Amino acid sequence: MNKWKVALAGAVAAALALTGCAGGTSSSGSSSAKTGGTLTLGLITQATTFSAQDANWANEAPYMQAVYDTLIHANADGTIAPWLATKWAYDDTKTKLTLTLRTDVKFSDGEAFNADAAAQNLKRFRDGASPNKSLLAQVSDVKAVDASTVEIDLKAADPAILVALTQNAGLMESPKAFTASDIKTNPIGSGPYTLDTKNTVPGSSYTFVRNAGYWSASTFPYDKVVMKVFSDATAELNAIKGGQVSGANLIDNGSLDQIKAAGYTVNAQELDWTGLILLDRDGKLAKQLGDVKVRQAIAYAFNRDALLKAIDKGNGTVTEQIFPKSSPAYDASLDSTYSYDVAKAKQLLSDAGYPNGFELSMPSSNLVPSSTWSIIASQLQDVGITVKYTDAGNNFITDMLAAKYPATWMRLQEDPTDWQISNFELTANAVFNPFKSDDPKIDAWVKTIQTGSDSDAAAASKAMNKYVVDQAWYVPWYRVQSSFATDAKTQVKMQVGNAYPYLYNISPK
Amino acid sequence: MVTFIVRRIGAGIVMLVVISTIAFLMLYAGGGDIARHILGQQATQDQVIAKAHDLGLDQPVFSQYAQWLGNALHGNLGQSWFNGQDVTAAMASRFPVTFSIVMGATLLSALLAVVLGVWAASRRGVVDKVVQVVSLLGFAIPGFLVALALVLVLAINLKLFKPTGYTPLTDDPGAWLSSITLPVIALAIGGIASVTQQVRGSVIDALRQDYVRTLRSRGLSRSRVIFKHVLRNAGGPALAVLAVQFIGMFGGAVIIEQIFAIPGLGQVGVSATTQGDIPLVMGLVLVTAALVVVVNLLIDLLQGWLNPKVRLS
Repeated sequence: MNKWKVALAGAVAAALALTGCAGGTSSSGSSSAKTGGTLTLGLITQATTFSAQDANWANEAPYMQAVYDTLIHANADGTIAPWLATKWAYDDTKTKLTLTLRTDVKFSDGEAFNADAAAQNLKRFRDGASPNKSLLAQVSDVKAVDASTVEIDLKAADPAILVALTQNAGLMESPKAFTASDIKTNPIGSGPYTLDTKNTVPGSSYTFVRNAGYWSASTFPYDKVVMKVFSDATAELNAIKGGQVSGANLIDNGSLDQIKAAGYTVNAQELDWTGLILLDRDGKLAKQLGDVKVRQAIAYAFNRDALLKAIDKGNGTVTEQIFPKSSPAYDASLDSTYSYDVAKAKQLLSDAGYPNGFELSMPSSNLVPSSTWSIIASQLQDVGITVKYTDAGNNFITDMLAAKYPATWMRLQEDPTDWQISNFELTANAVFNPFKSDDPKIDAWVKTIQTGSDSDAAAASKAMNKYVVDQAWYVPWYRVQSSFATDAKTQVKMQVGNAYPYLYNISPK
Repeated sequence: MVTFIVRRIGAGIVMLVVISTIAFLMLYAGGGDIARHILGQQATQDQVIAKAHDLGLDQPVFSQYAQWLGNALHGNLGQSWFNGQDVTAAMASRFPVTFSIVMGATLLSALLAVVLGVWAASRRGVVDKVVQVVSLLGFAIPGFLVALALVLVLAINLKLFKPTGYTPLTDDPGAWLSSITLPVIALAIGGIASVTQQVRGSVIDALRQDYVRTLRSRGLSRSRVIFKHVLRNAGGPALAVLAVQFIGMFGGAVIIEQIFAIPGLGQVGVSATTQGDIPLVMGLVLVTAALVVVVNLLIDLLQGWLNPKVRLS
């Protein structure tokens, strides 16, 4: 699912992205046996579409993984492994990727999976309407060399493409279904399950039954999977207390104690960071932000421990960098670069020529509790900066990305690869660089991440991360805990870099 | 009679068009960048513009409306922008869910209201005072609080019901009844309170009428007078209140369905409206508006049957 919803899910009371039990017969929990039984999952978003070409990911990943195989498999720790593709290799320039495919796989309509089907799917995703279509933006052509070999030509090296093929970009749908009128609601894949449309209420609950003859059935222990959508935190909590779900992604961390008391395990991971983005790096709209001293002063102005306690009840970890712990760029020592220091902040503002502070324009939105806005205003006021909010309502993200504000509060997902993070937040064309600020240093590091050896790329990300922290374009406060509750019969391995655990990592205890 | 019905249906159709126009304009004014909402924060600005174009959101509002109306008149309500489902199919699968809860709550309200109202009106004294206080409480306590309390006590602590979810009647009648019991009670509380008050008032008024004294003096038993004559006279105003309640309960179901995670119209209404899923919201508006028209027509006919004085020539 799109990150915007993921990002605000913790704060949005009833806004974003449900349930009911269509079948009504789904028993809660998994069976005590190692295979068989029903897995009932709680999700916080509906399936936007089942069409692989337009597929979302993140919170929608389990819907897709139930019915589709991906070319490559992602392990829980983010490393990759063979799946439909049994092996792969790059040419010397890293612009030609050749994958060898399994030959024993059939789609649920009986059609055989082969290189031609893979090629068609990859090209369709590149040209489709998925929010993540840019995952394949570097793909210039895909050719089926023979029935089991597919060749992907890239315009330029793409360090994230193998990971992309473990996600929505790698989903394989039967070419025969491409023209079906119900493609969005009736998926035909080669995955472990098929969607039982009779017992599915789109937007509320989805029932999946085993795909007979699936080539790797043992990877998916359950015979039936029911996915229920919860948009309301109270309904989700009640379903958990009533033992109606085996596992559920929690809408917020507001009731962790009650969930534990109901006999569930809270599996935590940190996927998003929250804090300020000083979008106007060059000072086009607010000239003050063009001065690194001012940006650093803002970074010093926040008492991150207090913010974590006040806004997220302490469920998270203070950080000052946008790269996740799993990234080679991560450096723990950077997290104390700007320890809370009002005097230092005032000094920096004074050095920059603003001894009396200045007024900073920022968007606000009722999608987030109003206390967040007042805390930001009060902490900045303490160092002399007066925040002037404009209520952007539902257009919060749109306006932010249309370069209407020099700075904003935000919550952003930490992507699994440094290449993705760079292109999402740092480069001149990054989505979260609406003012298109260009920095040759960033360009050079990103180039190394793209084309260099693994060790060169790691060194480049590390140097780049330090530079980004020093420049204070981003002022992260902390990484927010996201929680997945499992009942006594179910265990899960959380997925590095994804909002929802992968389906094959949920199993009976 | 036939002319009356035809005229009412004609007026209903005009109302449907007016309501759909207003709803469409309001949705448009409510704004929000729907394309961005669909694609999420990761999509580029170009992708968002392309999506808006695909959905026709870059056209003037009136041409968007004309297009929707044209399709709707041909029976095509489109597909949800957020899950791809046919709006007609979504309405067809969700209407029976909400209808069974609202109908259940209406029947429960009517039944309890008649019992309590007649009891209070005929006994007066302490009984009347108790009924009055209890119905005042029913008014005052919001349905969602009742719902939360019911879930906590009856579903989670006593485990008599499932706290969330819905089972279709066709799957398992027993499980269906169990799945709608708590939502029906929560939804009915307010209705019982107001209809009870209405029945009580009307019965007290009717009992003061001369014809009651005459009937009693002719030896008819008190209960026969009340159930055969008084209630029929008192029924009209009570029915009017019940009809308003019935329609109102479709609104109340929005919150109740959220709390019980029931896949009805209310639930889809909340998510579709906040997201800006215009085809789905418009489908919902049409269904509810049509329902109001039909219910009002039925109530008018029922009123005429109950009370010949209001019958139209």
